[in-house]
Amino acid sequence: MAWHDVDSWPTVLLGPTLTGILVTLLVAFLIPILLHQFLYRARTPKTLPTFLILGPSGSGKTSLFTQLERGTPSPTHISQVPATATATLPPSITTESNRYRSTEDPTLLAQRRITLIDTPGHGKLRHHALSRLSAPPASKTKSATVPSFPHALVFVVDAARLAPGSDSLAEAAAYLHDVLLALQRRHARARTSRGPGTVPVLVAANKMDLFTAAPAKVVARALEDEVGRVRESRAKGLLDSGGGGEGGRAEEDEDAGWLGEGGEGRFEFRQMEEVDVLVEVVGGNVLGGGGPDVQAWWEWIGRQL
Amino acid sequence: MLDSFEIVSTSGIVLWSKKYAIVPSNVVNSLIANVFIEERSNAPATADRDDASAARNPTYKTDGYTLKWTTAKDLGLIFVAVYQSLLHLSWIDKLLDNVRALFTELYRSQLKRPNTTVVDCGGFDGYFDRQVQELELRASAIATDSGASAAEFTPPSSSGTDRSAEERQEEQPPPMPSLKPPPAKAIYDDTSNDATPVPTPETSRPNSPAVNSHLLAAKGTGPRGKLSRRQRQRQNMAGSAPASSGDENPRRQQKARSSKKSRKWEADGTAVSDDEGDANLDYSSAPRDGPTSAPAPPIENVAQESWGKRTGKGEFVLKDLDEEMDEIIAAANAKKEGRKDANAGIVGSGLGAIGGLFRNVVGGKTLTKEDLEKPLKGMEDHLMRKNVAREAAVRLCESVERDLVGLKTGSFTSVETTIRQAMESALQKILTPTTSLDLLRAIQSTNAGTPQRPSRPYVLSIVGVNGVGKSTNLSKLAFFLLQNKLRVLIVAADTFRSGAVEQLRVHVRNLQELSQREGGEVGIYERGYGKDAANIARDAVSWAAENAWDVVLIDTAGRRHNDQRLMSSLEKFAQLARPDKIFMVGEALVGTDSVQQARNFNAAFGAGRGLDGFIISKCDTVGDMMGTLVSMVHATGIPVVFVGTGQHYTDLRTLNVAWATRLLLS
Repeated sequence: MAWHDVDSWPTVLLGPTLTGILVTLLVAFLIPILLHQFLYRARTPKTLPTFLILGPSGSGKTSLFTQLERGTPSPTHISQVPATATATLPPSITTESNRYRSTEDPTLLAQRRITLIDTPGHGKLRHHALSRLSAPPASKTKSATVPSFPHALVFVVDAARLAPGSDSLAEAAAYLHDVLLALQRRHARARTSRGPGTVPVLVAANKMDLFTAAPAKVVARALEDEVGRVRESRAKGLLDSGGGGEGGRAEEDEDAGWLGEGGEGRFEFRQMEEVDVLVEVVGGNVLGGGGPDVQAWWEWIGRQL
Repeated sequence: MLDSFEIVSTSGIVLWSKKYAIVPSNVVNSLIANVFIEERSNAPATADRDDASAARNPTYKTDGYTLKWTTAKDLGLIFVAVYQSLLHLSWIDKLLDNVRALFTELYRSQLKRPNTTVVDCGGFDGYFDRQVQELELRASAIATDSGASAAEFTPPSSSGTDRSAEERQEEQPPPMPSLKPPPAKAIYDDTSNDATPVPTPETSRPNSPAVNSHLLAAKGTGPRGKLSRRQRQRQNMAGSAPASSGDENPRRQQKARSSKKSRKWEADGTAVSDDEGDANLDYSSAPRDGPTSAPAPPIENVAQESWGKRTGKGEFVLKDLDEEMDEIIAAANAKKEGRKDANAGIVGSGLGAIGGLFRNVVGGKTLTKEDLEKPLKGMEDHLMRKNVAREAAVRLCESVERDLVGLKTGSFTSVETTIRQAMESALQKILTPTTSLDLLRAIQSTNAGTPQRPSRPYVLSIVGVNGVGKSTNLSKLAFFLLQNKLRVLIVAADTFRSGAVEQLRVHVRNLQELSQREGGEVGIYERGYGKDAANIARDAVSWAAENAWDVVLIDTAGRRHNDQRLMSSLEKFAQLARPDKIFMVGEALVGTDSVQQARNFNAAFGAGRGLDGFIISKCDTVGDMMGTLVSMVHATGIPVVFVGTGQHYTDLRTLNVAWATRLLLS
């Protein structure tokens, strides 16, 4: 019996039979529902926004990393390799893009997830973090394994060890200077006039629970002063050996090594806004109770989404 | 007693730890920083193909603690045991190896999950405690009595023994009573001859495959412990065979085997020493074939169930944990052996070779030691052509090999490219300083002073072998400092070579003319020839402090680094002049000797004081043969601060690591 015979299935379905009607009804009503389900549930962002955690050794990066991921910090030691994890925003935080959305929307959950990358802070291992700052953004890289430019940076410092003139302040400021300079260079190298997009930087002043910790404002000021000093001594210092001869780097303009606005004067994080780098200093603590906790940092992360 | 035991991932998260006493966190941190990141261990690095057993890793001592460690590279784990240096715990190595085998087997799947760092290993305490108890018990047994009481200290479980005895009964009818199966040996090998578990023949339990499967069917759903050990063992083997852990050491095992006295057990339980029985004991191949060749997929489910129940119960848990533990360790060890054989087989065959070639082009090849051998040799030769000292080149290649073995190459990358990338990052790691030196800032803060310590001049001293360019580099440094409007005092502490003081005087005259235009001020402090250099330096520093100089640059006499008489005066010099920084000038032209030079000078200033940096001079004369940079840093772990690149005062540069790496690999 071929399909075009009188009592074959197409004829039966097209005829006024009960099965035909039921099947048609099912198809007619289910397709929109399924389509809705499919479109709304399956459309999670392909690449989650990445937050790169960096900072000098011993500032509490890995603790923060585990705290954001699990909700409780785990004991840590010096990191040797970067780690990646997916974290979900706590329910109390509303992301910037979802401010006017209903809380019942099922797509909310998908947008609450972020990727955190923890990098080692040891002096020899900072290339893990710094290499990402000159990498193309995730949308341009094909494979997931290639390091890509993060959505935002979290620079962790130990607020209790930022006494003026101390070595730890100098180290933190030198690292922060390098990071900001890398971001500025990235902006300067952009071909289009639009620039490569804004990069939010959170300076997380950690260990606020300690008695010796400086408040966020003081931390910001100390870091600004110290970064200014680093900037000055870098400018006065010797050239580095990569310069001469090959001509590649010599062509870079004079300003390339000078962070922030040209000319004399104090360095301020505000100057970085010119190159689309928004620096914000927020205090908190990962370990130890009684401090401001990580809530403020979560809120900052929420604002960036 | 053990103070603490930690399992740390390379990303810095403590996955599991057991603390018996409070150990400051910086103890383990200093181990990681010094041994893993800066690779500063004195013992020659063991570039073993797999994670070396804990016994072969050098012991690390700090703050009165002794740290023993081992790693599981493929999973990125470090196992650290910490105890007081006063104690001598011989069983720590064993514990580390066993715990590594257990932990990697139990949590392998969890550790491999991407994008998370959570590893739920709350149940590991039981396993660990049991291991410690057992090993401690045996250790104390050895200590108190070794001869007569041996039988008593046979560990409670001898599951491996039973298992293989049964196995053998199946395959070869007449059971040898004195058999000692390899897995059991692998667990308990190096503790003592007398405390090794002694297998008892399983004569009372005849077993056949038919009976076995019947039992299985009947007891599959029964409570815990009803499975025969052999079956559980099999499941273990079958379940975890494809995955491979990396922790066994065949060489050590063999050694232990050969040193062991064989013993036969009579039916009545008396031990008979048996010297000619060695031939019987070599069953290294039979059990390996046995369990792996017998497939046992249908019992997989049962195994999981009973396993879970067992761990959940109170009294039984201990004994069962014990068995389970032994099985896991034995399985890991046996699997290891099996894998090695399989490897040889596939690589040896023609098909494997062609596949390997194809993979080499396309990528996705899992690297083995054999694959890396030739390209690494090429890389080593390349580095040595670049004037890297042999010692340093070998070390770099070993660290690259350690990083790469077991890794997969990326798509469309050959082995050579992968090695090149790995070498690049190894070079970068070795050349990058831990803390970067900002000389101007350091001078500023010293001159400014703090409430705690008054302001004083910043003292820089320069040492080195004869004729490497100490005075020239000193004047270059002085020029750089003068440009920053600092007041620089140059001290002629070379009271030995004729013309040294006059040479500095010429430099100072030139610099004075420059400084009149640029600002800054330069002076010379000289006391003629023949005086003691250390005293001159001390006087100069105090004089400079009185007259408010900003920087004191001390030039010293060149000395041969293996002349004890000349080198010994450096210690006194360091004590009297108390320089803030001591730089050693090394020339880029020197070859293999650079390693010895750096070491000897670094050690010459007495305990607690070493070099602070190198200035590599004459870099313009060697082109891209910058090997000396690497050799010197390799020998001491002290960074290269400046590079001399020409004859003029302005030809002093800071080191650009990327530039140096590029030259070395070009």
